[in-house]
Amino acid sequence: MSDQKPILEFRDINTHYGAVHILKEVNLAIYPGEMVCLLGGNASGKSTTLKTLLGMVTPTSGEVVLDGEVVNDKPTSYRVERGITMVPENRRLFKRLSVLENLQLGAYLRTDKDGVERDLERIYSMFPRVKERLSQKAGTLSGGEQQMVAMGRALMADPRVLLMDEPSMGLAPSLVRTNFELIQQIHEEGIAIFMVEQNANMALSLADRGWVLQTGRVVLDDTADALLANPELRKSYLGEA
Amino acid sequence: MTAAVRAKGASRTKVDWFLLFMRVALLSLIAIGLLAFFAQQLDPNNAFARWRHGGDAAHTLTGDQYKGLVVTGLSQGAMYGLIALGYSMVYGVLGFINFAHGEVFMVGGFTGFIMANKLDEAGYWEGGAFIPAVLFTILVCTLVSMATAVIMERVAYRPLRGSPRLIPLITSIGVSFFIQNAVILLFGPGAKGYPSNPDWLQQKRSLLGLVEIEGIKIVVIVVAALSMYALWYFVERTRTGKAMRAVSEDKEIASLMGINVNRTIVTTFAVGGAMAGIAGILWGLLFRSVIATTGFLPGIKAFTAAVVGGIGNLGGAMAGGVALGGAESLAPLMLLEPLGVEGASQLRDAVAFTLLILVLLIKPTGLFGERLSSEDRA
Amino acid sequence: MKKLLTLLALLLSFSMVAAACGSDSDSESDEGSATTEADAGDSDDSTAHHGDGSLGEVRVEAGSEVQIRSLNAITGDVAFLGIPNQRGVEFAIEDYGQIKGFGISMGTGLDDLCSADGGQAAAQTIVADEQVIGVIGTSCSGAATAAAPLISEANMVMISGSNTSPALTSDQQGNAGENYNVGYYRTAHNDLFQGAAMAKFVYEELGLTTAAAIHDGDPYTEGLATAFANAFTELGGEVTTITGVAKEDTDMVPVLTEVAAAEPAALFFPIFQPAGDFVADQAPGVSGLENTVLLAADGLLVDGFLELEQSEGMHFSGPDVRFGENTNQGTGKTANDFLAAYEATHGEAPSAPFWGHSYDATTLLLDAIDAASYMDGDTLVIDRAGVREHLNMVRNYSGIIGTINCDDFGDCGSQRITIIKHDSAADIETSKSNVVFEYAP
Repeated sequence: MSDQKPILEFRDINTHYGAVHILKEVNLAIYPGEMVCLLGGNASGKSTTLKTLLGMVTPTSGEVVLDGEVVNDKPTSYRVERGITMVPENRRLFKRLSVLENLQLGAYLRTDKDGVERDLERIYSMFPRVKERLSQKAGTLSGGEQQMVAMGRALMADPRVLLMDEPSMGLAPSLVRTNFELIQQIHEEGIAIFMVEQNANMALSLADRGWVLQTGRVVLDDTADALLANPELRKSYLGEA
Repeated sequence: MTAAVRAKGASRTKVDWFLLFMRVALLSLIAIGLLAFFAQQLDPNNAFARWRHGGDAAHTLTGDQYKGLVVTGLSQGAMYGLIALGYSMVYGVLGFINFAHGEVFMVGGFTGFIMANKLDEAGYWEGGAFIPAVLFTILVCTLVSMATAVIMERVAYRPLRGSPRLIPLITSIGVSFFIQNAVILLFGPGAKGYPSNPDWLQQKRSLLGLVEIEGIKIVVIVVAALSMYALWYFVERTRTGKAMRAVSEDKEIASLMGINVNRTIVTTFAVGGAMAGIAGILWGLLFRSVIATTGFLPGIKAFTAAVVGGIGNLGGAMAGGVALGGAESLAPLMLLEPLGVEGASQLRDAVAFTLLILVLLIKPTGLFGERLSSEDRA
Repeated sequence: MKKLLTLLALLLSFSMVAAACGSDSDSESDEGSATTEADAGDSDDSTAHHGDGSLGEVRVEAGSEVQIRSLNAITGDVAFLGIPNQRGVEFAIEDYGQIKGFGISMGTGLDDLCSADGGQAAAQTIVADEQVIGVIGTSCSGAATAAAPLISEANMVMISGSNTSPALTSDQQGNAGENYNVGYYRTAHNDLFQGAAMAKFVYEELGLTTAAAIHDGDPYTEGLATAFANAFTELGGEVTTITGVAKEDTDMVPVLTEVAAAEPAALFFPIFQPAGDFVADQAPGVSGLENTVLLAADGLLVDGFLELEQSEGMHFSGPDVRFGENTNQGTGKTANDFLAAYEATHGEAPSAPFWGHSYDATTLLLDAIDAASYMDGDTLVIDRAGVREHLNMVRNYSGIIGTINCDDFGDCGSQRITIIKHDSAADIETSKSNVVFEYAP
């Protein structure tokens, strides 16, 4: 792992919303092809971490590094073009647009038509249900179907790193497992996954490594197995008394 | 949530009864008016007509007069629709009503006035040169209105991005006054006349032997329809159009897709401005007169049309425009005159705004508006 | 936001409906409340003058000037009408000279904006100055409706050179108009006569028996349309429709269709530009109006309208402006003298004909001031009641507009109306003097 260069890195990142200090000296690194997860309670700074990675929030100090280049002042589109994308919390599909249009927007910045066509086919084979509903408005789909479209839309950007914000949030319990299988499947295609998840048990069982964020500070940084075994973590996040 | 459920289930409040009364009253007025209209078309001397017209028989409309009203309503409505698109698009993307949009339309009309007179002086406003001259004028008007809208966005609205939506709304009223007075300063307060159109454009021509229309009205309807089609194609079929719709739904996710939100907003203003510019020059060609306040009333009417059609919905804006134009032109004579209202034509503005009230009472989201869930608008 | 929007839209539409339906007629002519604000003059004055001092007196100290005012539409769309009016006042003051050795000042020309709001605002400014005796104005009847009550209540007088609405004076049958106020006079004609002239012309000269009229809700246009309709009916004709347009309307097809339903032989629309442009342009295209004779009044008898192609073939009524060698008895000037002086000073001919009426109005006022004033030592004392008394008694006064007689309700005009036929938009000067019908009561 350490012989490779990280795709995306946080170096001593601090962010503020007005006077409120959100992220405090955060260091992260995401390497090609790995699956990592970020755990933390409410208001611990998880969402801000994602937004900072994508350039929707500008850090007050520290560096966001993409492929060795400092990208603090580059817009989101710059990062998307270079293979970073996200499946947002609650999916946030364009509900009034058709399923196909949602997928096409995922590939908004791509110019390789053939590649886009190929990726569309790949998504159809991955989610046959999606193919049946291409012309339907995305808002009319069921929760599970929407989750598929959201993932498909992200995959259409041909990402190297896929950020996932609470992928199992708002899904029926029966769907949660399927959902993680899908994530696993995407991961197996060689896409690095950075997952922010409440369901720490499930997330850590899939991930290679993980971080724990507490009031904006990284308090734990270890392999998934080690984290699963960490008694303190088990107590506070894994729901064990 | 629970409160809302309870309100629905519980007995009606006084306000509900009032609204119900308004709905019933307006709808029965329309029903009675229509009945009276048909009755007097069949028998101008029926008892009701004699009663409502002070003992005299009513005057019936001939088929040609009736068609003339439809045509004028349609051409007027087409222009309302073109302007309404701009209101609706900006509302869709930024969530506020750009009240200065009527001035963008007026700027188009004034540009047309300048162009047409210059071309007329040079002898291009007649004969074989007329068609290219008009096309060129339409192009210039479109561009000038487009530029006006874009500059407006850049100077007045972008600095306010992120502030409560009431603030750009109030600002837009200021922008409207500014543009109106700037035009008065530049061109004076009087009416400005367009040169005469060639005869072939003013003459009535038969359309499939069904209806006689002045050439210029055909031009207005056709150009408006083409523009609307082009806009529909742009929004529904092109990459930029998709981006625009995406931005209007969710700016954050749109930027996550790599869409440049600022540029898309500028595009929205530009396209809306272009439509208003086309409406402006069509208005000028049809009525051959513009004045600094030309944008006010059509602007308000177009806003009404956008709300009637369902604000934020482009098809609705077009349909709302045509519905409003038609109602304005037909209702005074088909509903009010048969009821014995004197000087019914004076009430066309009242008709337009009553239509708005009626639609808001019966379908508050407008004819084609979608009911947005709270999640959508959170 | 959605709620806010709905509310906004509802509010907006309600107000629009209200505005569209509303035909405001706020007239308060409470003559009873005339108050004496100046100390009623000591009754032992020896100098003979008009007036009993009941409305107060104005004292002009030696070295000061007698104050009158001009209130005309000098900006905006109707400036073509108001500017010559104001200049008429200026020339009359200059030609008149002095009153008992005192100079006359009209101050700065005030603007009535041709609207009720403008008239009211300007009148408030005027009545705030207690030295002012009288006002020459307004240009527009709508402005006079709001200004006259204030002027009247302040015991001043107001003489208009171009108001023509019957409501401002009387119905000529001895009944005060709904907007009549004591102290209001005018040298312009009463539109009852213009309406009668047009009716007579259509019925007797053109031989047409059906007619319709369109106004725009303005007191001037509505008054004239109604006067025409009443006179036409009285002559035996049938008035098929009287209806209105809004001043901002552009698409006239619906209103013209309403008119066309009854197929009138003549259509009289005494309105203004730009609405008049659209009526004249669109009428021939409406089925049923192809052969209808179009007629308008002095509101459209302006160069901007006559130059339009669509105005060709129309007839226009208006005051008889063939002033020629008519002489104003107060200054001894003729209309031709005036026109020469006007051209020399302003480099153009007057853009509307009511300069003559304004000139005569001014000399009438100055004569009245002269007759109602006396010297108290070095001070000129003007009796406000006397000014009105004098104006009420004006008979056979020779003015630029002809012979002036004031009736009990302030109508002083010569009431001579002419109708012209407009043949060519390329030669409007010929049209203006192409009189085809003359009318005098």
